[in-house]
Amino acid sequence: MSETVVNLWSIPLLVVIPILTAIVLNLLYNRVRAIRVASVVSAAALLVVSIVSPYGLQWFTGQPGVASDGSYTYSTSIFSWKLSLEYYFGPLQQILIFTSSLLLLFVVVISTRSLKKDFGPYVAIMFLTYFSTVAVIMVNDFYHLWIVVEIGSLLVAGLVAASGAGSAQKAALKYTFFSALSGSGLAIALALILGITGYANISDAISFLMMTDLGNMYNVLYISFAFLMLSWIYAGGLAPIHPLKSDVYRSAFPHATVLLQAQSKVMLVAIGLVLLRMFGGLPFAREAMLSISLLTMILGVVMALIQTDFRWILAYLIVSHSGLVTVGISLGTPLGIVGGLFQAVNDIVYMSVLLLCCEMLLYFNNGTSIRSSGGIAKKVPWLAAFAILGAFAASGIPPFNGFQSELILIQAALGGGLPEVAAVILMVSVSTFIALFRGIYSIFLKPSTNPLPEGSESASSPPRGMPIILGILVAITLILGVYPQLALDFLTESAVKVVYVPWVP
Amino acid sequence: MIEVSLQLLTFLAASLLIIIGIAGMLFLDNLIKKLISFTLLSDGVNLALVSLGYVPGGIVPILEPGASISDFPKEAALIFGPGIVLTNIVIGVSTTAILAALIIMLYKRYGTLKASKVLKGEME
Repeated sequence: MSETVVNLWSIPLLVVIPILTAIVLNLLYNRVRAIRVASVVSAAALLVVSIVSPYGLQWFTGQPGVASDGSYTYSTSIFSWKLSLEYYFGPLQQILIFTSSLLLLFVVVISTRSLKKDFGPYVAIMFLTYFSTVAVIMVNDFYHLWIVVEIGSLLVAGLVAASGAGSAQKAALKYTFFSALSGSGLAIALALILGITGYANISDAISFLMMTDLGNMYNVLYISFAFLMLSWIYAGGLAPIHPLKSDVYRSAFPHATVLLQAQSKVMLVAIGLVLLRMFGGLPFAREAMLSISLLTMILGVVMALIQTDFRWILAYLIVSHSGLVTVGISLGTPLGIVGGLFQAVNDIVYMSVLLLCCEMLLYFNNGTSIRSSGGIAKKVPWLAAFAILGAFAASGIPPFNGFQSELILIQAALGGGLPEVAAVILMVSVSTFIALFRGIYSIFLKPSTNPLPEGSESASSPPRGMPIILGILVAITLILGVYPQLALDFLTESAVKVVYVPWVP
Repeated sequence: MIEVSLQLLTFLAASLLIIIGIAGMLFLDNLIKKLISFTLLSDGVNLALVSLGYVPGGIVPILEPGASISDFPKEAALIFGPGIVLTNIVIGVSTTAILAALIIMLYKRYGTLKASKVLKGEME
């Protein structure tokens, strides 16, 4: 059987455009208008590519699948050895990349209007962060996975340090030191998997494991699973390193945190699915993943409840809701995986709403502390409305999107015979509501106990168009809440493949 | 037997470097010493990766003119180890550069290289 094999045109664009844009923005450095135009045009182009791209593969070594009769094939239904470094763009990749592209466009618009000088390199790091996000969800080989996770970690440090505050530099330093540990672990995991299977391609490695009795080498497989899980924990900020990640989220500008949390969620999905496809059959593998997820959910939300700053509350809630994403994936059933993937999409959107509201507080309130704030709803009613709607979505209240994904997760947990997991999901949902509305009440609704004197707000004016951006994001939470099938159509196929044909990307 | 011991020795050396590196990163208070510990860790990982590709009595994985193609895969050392090491060196250098930049910024701000003081926000 011989077929015409073509590499998909859009995958190189999604990878190369952000890198080229980052180089150009670095060269432009301080030319405000040119940076603004170049970055917005580039972000819009990436959004368009993510929408119009067909589905398919890109072989970086020019090697499609080799069928048993020696012919080439790109059909995933035919068993073949790929022997290649490979990217795959499918429905799951499309919805996550579309969401990331939309957020990149919004964040670029905001940052190029709010920052005044020397922001070429800063926006360049944003584009590279976007690159790491889209690349990690498309990779189907361990080599690229390792490199993208490493690059992504360094970019997180860069984006956080760029905010300029001493606490941000400290957070970046701590995060980079742990990145060094985790990155070394990931390199060893890659080497062990290559040593056991002989394949860098994830599909090939899975096929090899399914057809070969490893005998004593199973111990080595467990070690590689442990190292890969370490990188999963690190990249996603799961327990026990959640304080580092929440420190990072809190220290960056809130608009940068929008990209950082999207990157974390996508990395959690990408590495989590690889763990499930590759090691899901190992005894205790899913149990270990599930335990980490539950611990993250509980620790994150408990820490959020005791914070007195809205940024800290959001930082810990992002970590806690990362646990919601991974708990679905760890359940390992098609329904659970769909719930986890849907939660990832929803979480990225509603957390962005809350983070951008937090960004606006820096303009209207001179800070995000819930102790020294109050009365913002009277001053900026539209901001209070968006914050409340975002909090509803995050707390899983119908008809917003968070409700739909949490409902699927609870159904999956009950269907899998784990009612205690369903109870923890419910507890996280209720605690999220309490943590958020404690902050929202103090900042927006409570009468101001210490009113700011007239004209004492931040000297810079808030970015124009913010109500429109927030409006679009809230509309997405509402649309996905009322019509969840719009997203589920993109996610179901991927979830089914992970469970029943794990060697298919 | 000698070759097996040689591989074992390299693994032991790599383990030692990794343990010293991790211990230094976790327990030393000076940020520059932490950075040096990271480079030891990275070197240990590189040595472990190269050792994984070792084939007892093997040859360098370059196909010389006139060599037997059928025997080459059995005799040649595995190439993936050095391949990963090359990338790991680049990643290690990038990480070192970012860590060094952050340490310089923190030193300028706090006037000390002691991690305990920097993290508490105390000036020297």
